[in-house]
Amino acid sequence: MLQRIYHIAKRDLTLEFRQQYSFLSALLYLVAITFIVYKVFGRIEPPTRIGLFWILILFTSINVVTNSFSFHSLKRKYYHYTLYRSYELIIAKWGINLLKMLIAGSVLIFLQSVFANESLKNIGLYSQVYFLGIVGMTAAMTLISSISSYSQNQNTLIAVMSIPLLIPILLIGMRLSMISERIIMDTEVNNYLLMLIGIDVVYVAMLIIFIPLTWKA
Amino acid sequence: MDIKRDWWKVLGVIMMLYVIVAGILIPMKPGILDHDGKRVESGDKLIVNVNSYNTHFDEANYINAYLLLPTDELLPAVSYEVVNAAAIAVSFDIPNNIIKDNSDKIDCNLVIDNELDGYIQYPDAVTIIQSTDYKEIKNVELKPLSSLQHVDDFKFPFRPIIYETVRNTFFHVAIWMAMFIILIVSCYHSIRYLVSKNLSHDHKSSALTSAALVFGIAGLLTGSMWARFTWGTWWTNDVKLNMTSIALLIYCSYWILRTSISDIDTRARLSSVFNLFAFVALFILVMVIPRMTDSLHPGNGGNPAFGDEDLDNTLRAVFYPAIIAYTILGLWIAQLTVRYYDAKDKIELMSYNKSL
Repeated sequence: MLQRIYHIAKRDLTLEFRQQYSFLSALLYLVAITFIVYKVFGRIEPPTRIGLFWILILFTSINVVTNSFSFHSLKRKYYHYTLYRSYELIIAKWGINLLKMLIAGSVLIFLQSVFANESLKNIGLYSQVYFLGIVGMTAAMTLISSISSYSQNQNTLIAVMSIPLLIPILLIGMRLSMISERIIMDTEVNNYLLMLIGIDVVYVAMLIIFIPLTWKA
Repeated sequence: MDIKRDWWKVLGVIMMLYVIVAGILIPMKPGILDHDGKRVESGDKLIVNVNSYNTHFDEANYINAYLLLPTDELLPAVSYEVVNAAAIAVSFDIPNNIIKDNSDKIDCNLVIDNELDGYIQYPDAVTIIQSTDYKEIKNVELKPLSSLQHVDDFKFPFRPIIYETVRNTFFHVAIWMAMFIILIVSCYHSIRYLVSKNLSHDHKSSALTSAALVFGIAGLLTGSMWARFTWGTWWTNDVKLNMTSIALLIYCSYWILRTSISDIDTRARLSSVFNLFAFVALFILVMVIPRMTDSLHPGNGGNPAFGDEDLDNTLRAVFYPAIIAYTILGLWIAQLTVRYYDAKDKIELMSYNKSL
């Protein structure tokens, strides 16, 4: 099974390299917004910077995940359906989305550090929170994008349906990254991390359970 | 109407009427609203003006006022003056030797007792400090707790800050409970649809979800009113409020999903899946996260949950019927909606057949 997932992921990555524009446009969007915001406001206070970080990550992940299903024609869907099990396909897709979001997040952290002229105060905690955050985010959004790929106006539907699901992750993520940037003091870091892990586990489990049901038409 | 088939609707109407009548009309137990009790040195005189609620001081014959000491003994007042039915001034002589152990101060509850209302008390109303200079010892005889008069009647408990709004328990809390029950039934029908692919289950589950959404909005509105009278604002930044509104947004997106897909079977399948997903998300948002952080709601963030303190037997006698009544109301709304869906499908089918 793992081999098949690896195989699908490898093939999808090759396709991705041929059609680089989708991921690159998402990255360009990220860079451009950060650049504009820093040029307009000059200096950004740390709490605003963290809010900006998570909101940009939210919209970038909408861009990235939307593209992961929109290339699919109905024919290719049937072909995949005969070839692979649905959860293998979806785990591969989710892994690729996760990888893309990791790259996007690193770019954003780097850009913000450069523009703000100070590095992160606690890189370990910050990256841990970021990783846990995008695991849940990409899992929920992959499921939502699979559900909404049957509708004509897929892009709006993904944004509308996934943002409420992502708010708890964003709230906990913002609080934890504020703690890691030493903006607020809190002794319950482990409690929040556990909460985030719990949400991740539930969203990933739902992704794997529900995908076969949404897949077959 | 067929009584054998529709008995649950009759039951629901009767219970609903009972909840509204009993929930609004049963009076509150008496209690102390406020007082001007303060710190006092032992050996001094103390006069406390008390404002109370639902009491009958002017009609009562035997009024006694006490300070309840930490040793569970009662220090009786030397005199009292009734202002009106809900206001009284009591004066105490604090004996010099009242503090037996080595502590330098004790907190006492203020207790007022008459034969019509029973005893009412206010916690930690008076603080007695050990006097350092010599004062004449006034010996006052202490009384045991058993001398208090207890009146048994069917009234709602008096709680500080909450007061009369305790009646909102039958509306706010019961509506949320009923919403959860209806959503569980809706999830059951979603699972039945995914297993059997029978469209009637999809109709049922979406009708139940819409009924639950109405209940959720009603729960938010009643909660907002309750917050206005107890916490002072219509909306606070409480975690449970935020998470609940997010959960309602998720259910709104369920409706957007349903309206955006035109194919009936695809719509039924995808919305069933999303319904299950939304219920799990709702459970996490409303039942798990608020329990782990600070919240103003009972049962969350270290606050006591509904225990014997909050929900005594008089409240239970209305609260549990209220949950059942709202659940029946929700199921009834859903049944009517299902009939509407079925009729709409039939009309569509008929017009389709005609066009052939």
